[in-house]
Amino acid sequence: MKIKFDMNVAFTALTLISIVLLTIASPATAFPTMLQGVMNAITLIVKLAAIYAVWLSVLKMMQATELDKKLSKLLRPLIKRLFKNESDEAYNWISVNLAGNMLGMGGVATPAGIKAMHAMASEEQTVASANMILLLIINATSIQLIPATVIAIRAAAGSADASSIFLPTLISTSVSTLSGVILCKVFALTDKKQNKGDDKNRGLHIQNSMLNQRLRGFNTRSRKARKR
Amino acid sequence: MSVYILPVLLIVLIIICIIKKVKVYDCFLDGTRDSLGLIKSIFPYVAAVFVCIELFKASGLSSTISGWLAKPLSYLGIPSEITEIILLVPLSGNGTIALLESIINDCGVDSYPARCAAVIAGATETIFYISAVYFSACKVRKLRYAIPVALFCTLLGTVVACALCRIM
Repeated sequence: MKIKFDMNVAFTALTLISIVLLTIASPATAFPTMLQGVMNAITLIVKLAAIYAVWLSVLKMMQATELDKKLSKLLRPLIKRLFKNESDEAYNWISVNLAGNMLGMGGVATPAGIKAMHAMASEEQTVASANMILLLIINATSIQLIPATVIAIRAAAGSADASSIFLPTLISTSVSTLSGVILCKVFALTDKKQNKGDDKNRGLHIQNSMLNQRLRGFNTRSRKARKR
Repeated sequence: MSVYILPVLLIVLIIICIIKKVKVYDCFLDGTRDSLGLIKSIFPYVAAVFVCIELFKASGLSSTISGWLAKPLSYLGIPSEITEIILLVPLSGNGTIALLESIINDCGVDSYPARCAAVIAGATETIFYISAVYFSACKVRKLRYAIPVALFCTLLGTVVACALCRIM
């Protein structure tokens, strides 16, 4: 079972079909629509710049006080079981990402997730590894503990019991996350059986990231030595 | 109560910083600097996803496809009023909230479709946005089974949500 999904194919197909339809229906709106899309993206990006500025500072403080390492030690048993054979840096970022997700702090989960992906990928890797896909799926189906926005909307619309959706929401998101993790593991297993040649690359990648880590450790050590 | 969690955590963190003699001001400067770098690297991905969403909605493609899907989804117990929200959920968070509000207006806030839509809006994530942004720092473009699995699990969660709304 092999499913290929390339962002290039998806983007091209969706845009082409939409533009063709728009040109038939109302050709004057094709370009304004695309501009509107980028405009929305810029509005969001400005908001995100503010959110990340605050949260990345918090992350820096956590790194400086080595709280991120303690957090990752706490979550290590779970994470090591889910994500096998990754570098310590990747484990740290994954644990920050998962903790941020569970506490409903999207502002800290996203940057940590991006850094975790970066730590798991080698320089020239273009195909996602099983661990990268697993992290993506956990985030894409993330468990939402308190759906605050939706409850607020329902209360504003005059619902008799606005928070009655709390339990169904919790069960529904747990079902999607759990099934996601299981399916990921199944796909990873069938993948492994199909192409054992990939394993060699994978081993090389692990060696690489371990080497990088040792280098990084060496750098910080020498920096400390210089300070003294 | 939950409003206290974040500020209190932040206060604890700053106190730990003071005890461990970490420079809080420098951390803030580094964080903000990193934020602009991060924004710069994710902007193209966010823009691509948003252009897609706008075109998808404006071209009428989203309402056409939800028209096709209404019948098969109704066999899974999903009311036809909310097929468009199911289609939009993986793409855009703001779009989902806007649709939720229009469904509440049309059907009444405590009606079955409106409650289903509320659970779906609360329980799901924007899959395409996340998968574009998370890989913005590396060269990975081939996501293999990631998107189909994520979509399938979201659909599974949706079916469960609609079934639960019937009972609860």
